[in-house]
Amino acid sequence: MKKKIALVSAIIIAAPMLYSFCGFYVSKADTTLKNKTSQVILVRDGNRNVITMYNDFKGDTKDFAMVVPVPVTLQKSDVKVVDQGLFQRLNDYSAPRLVEYYDENPCDGSYKRKDFSSNMAAIKSVSLGSVNEDKAEREYHVKVEAQYIVGEYDIIILSAKESNGLKNWLTDNGYKIPKGAEEVLDPYIKSNLKFFVVKVNEAEKKKLPGNFLRPIQISFNSPKFMLPIRLGMANADGDQDLIVYAFTKKGRIECTNYRNVNIPTGNKIPLFVQKNFGAFYDNLFTYQWNKENQDVSFLEYAWDVSPQNFMKCDPCIATAPSEQDVVQAGVWWLNKDWTDYSDVNEQEEGDGTSPNVHFTRLHFRYNRNHFAQDLMFQVTPNKENYQARYVITHPATGSFTCDAGKKYLQDLKKRRRGELNELTALTGKDIETWQNMAEVKNDGENVKDAAYASLIDQSKEERQSGNRSIAGFVLLGAAVLGTGAFMRSKGIV
Amino acid sequence: MQLKANRWDARYFQMAFQVTFLCYGFIFLHWGTEWLNYFLFIGTGLLFQFIANSIDKRKFSITSLALGGSWKSVLVSCLSLCLLLKTNDWYICIAASAVTIFSKYIFRYKGKHIFNPSAMGIAAVVYLSGNAWISPGQWGSNMVLFFAIICLGCIVVTKVQKLDVTIAFLGTFAALLFARQIVYLGWPTDFFVQSVTTGGLLLFSFFMITDPKTTPDHPVARIVWAITVAAVAFYLTAFKFINGAPIWVLVCSQPLVPVLDHFFKAKRFEWEKPFLELRSLL
Repeated sequence: MKKKIALVSAIIIAAPMLYSFCGFYVSKADTTLKNKTSQVILVRDGNRNVITMYNDFKGDTKDFAMVVPVPVTLQKSDVKVVDQGLFQRLNDYSAPRLVEYYDENPCDGSYKRKDFSSNMAAIKSVSLGSVNEDKAEREYHVKVEAQYIVGEYDIIILSAKESNGLKNWLTDNGYKIPKGAEEVLDPYIKSNLKFFVVKVNEAEKKKLPGNFLRPIQISFNSPKFMLPIRLGMANADGDQDLIVYAFTKKGRIECTNYRNVNIPTGNKIPLFVQKNFGAFYDNLFTYQWNKENQDVSFLEYAWDVSPQNFMKCDPCIATAPSEQDVVQAGVWWLNKDWTDYSDVNEQEEGDGTSPNVHFTRLHFRYNRNHFAQDLMFQVTPNKENYQARYVITHPATGSFTCDAGKKYLQDLKKRRRGELNELTALTGKDIETWQNMAEVKNDGENVKDAAYASLIDQSKEERQSGNRSIAGFVLLGAAVLGTGAFMRSKGIV
Repeated sequence: MQLKANRWDARYFQMAFQVTFLCYGFIFLHWGTEWLNYFLFIGTGLLFQFIANSIDKRKFSITSLALGGSWKSVLVSCLSLCLLLKTNDWYICIAASAVTIFSKYIFRYKGKHIFNPSAMGIAAVVYLSGNAWISPGQWGSNMVLFFAIICLGCIVVTKVQKLDVTIAFLGTFAALLFARQIVYLGWPTDFFVQSVTTGGLLLFSFFMITDPKTTPDHPVARIVWAITVAAVAFYLTAFKFINGAPIWVLVCSQPLVPVLDHFFKAKRFEWEKPFLELRSLL
């Protein structure tokens, strides 16, 4: 637990990142806190929930404080800090991946297949500071339900009667409340939620090596299986990304109040994407997200990671999470003596008897306009594996002088035109956007005739004729419906 | 509520609308991968209906399916399964169809089946098999206008739909949600709008709870019953966080229907001409 880890976080999109927890940060200074990608681990079985929140707070951590609405008063044994590397490992394991195939030379050739991983990790470091001490106040109609230190954090569980009291308490204790937070505090208070207020304890922090804040893990029993994102919107400008890693006994989790969409997978894309897979996936995600009207939950990965299942990925781009990782993520039903995870609920039915663990990775990009509600989830019995996986194929080597070789070159051209069209269909970017990359020398002299750059114009023509046929179908459909309506109105049918 | 003269059986319209929703799912919501499930629900549903009908009438004949007019009800029920039930296993699809069809023949009182067939099929496989589920979020919320127009269109066109049940259920459910979410908790309006515009809820209100065969015959009893279902479903949704609560409540409340029918006498609803109804009672 006390390993020195200086670098943290890997989020698949290599764009600049902002961050927010499912709660909001209250800042003591006028530091502008920016949010972009949050990462949360959810573990759920029955009514038991374990939530681990990744902390990549940037800026002076003297100013760090976090408020998360929780359904019950958490005791000290319900809160712990976990190894920061856990998130990195889960992300590496479940990130969208690129697979490489090699063509066989029809004139001689041997077939090769190689799995290639492209890991689009962005690395950031976090610095630490300290926060002031804090006192419980009664005049605000705010009740301090519990107060304790866990790891480097001072934790207070507050319950409030009305949002003004909570707001005043926070303000008078030196916290800066983000604009718009008050409106969302009210519904939470009336839903009888408690507020989990976290600050850094300077003294405890100094005892730790490294310069980072560890993820906080909370466990509680509640029929509610949800993530309160609405508070996080209080200090977020624009769109925020959220990656949810979930572990359950039964199967995948899915969102119940937003639509679940599988991110496209298995598509054959041009070879040159390999050089910039991060940008490709970023474009793909943004395009698909807009296409689905933004208010959706994207599935990026789902797999059976039970200890007895030896195939934890196919292809693997990183080591699958170990049993220890899974337990540390909060999977209490795998918990064994060798861990220090002592705060599990021993009364849990089937404790220790069911070693099944199903992993789901969901990717949200939310904003106030399209996400009016917090994220609600359910555990489904869907055990199907799923992965976001894109395929590049290397051309065969050697010369193609034989007849089969000539045919191969023709087929290669055709396939590559298809790959270029696929690239446009996935990312919504016209092929010209990729022209520079396409023109870079991608492969050997032997397949010069089938170079991507020379196929761009042809593939564009192909796509336009494809569009025409879609338009044709739409017109045909409209005509059939129109005729039906006409016949109906004339009483013919 | 009298059955107004109508040139077409209302179930043709129901089917047309359900197929439209299914096509919407296919084209816009990427449901294409589930075609095998749809095929199984409908195919085995018709087969089971044929078997059940034959056994019921002690007569095996290819024409018995068509003559009973029951294929329309079967298609409506099976299309409801297609629209609501999710599973990865082919045998679950067959089990759902079997429960849907056979429950009509097994659980009946005075010639009227007790349980809404598709609600029963869904509830049975979700609870008993543990390998099927309902996806409340599958519709998204941007299809609401489309959905509303279609549903209203359905009512206007068919006139036979029991609009009173839909209004009583949806009105009560929405009013309670409004009171809880906006008036009491203070969430903004779009929070509430998202709650009531889920496709699953509208589908349930317009196509499932309205089944005239499994609702009380007397209008007053029907409305009281729909309001009760809505109130219990609201409680389970808002306070117990149960997904798909309306379907569970509907199934659990249906044994009450014969009781209500006993106290509130009214003319039995009939889909078609009386002689066909008599035939199915045999």
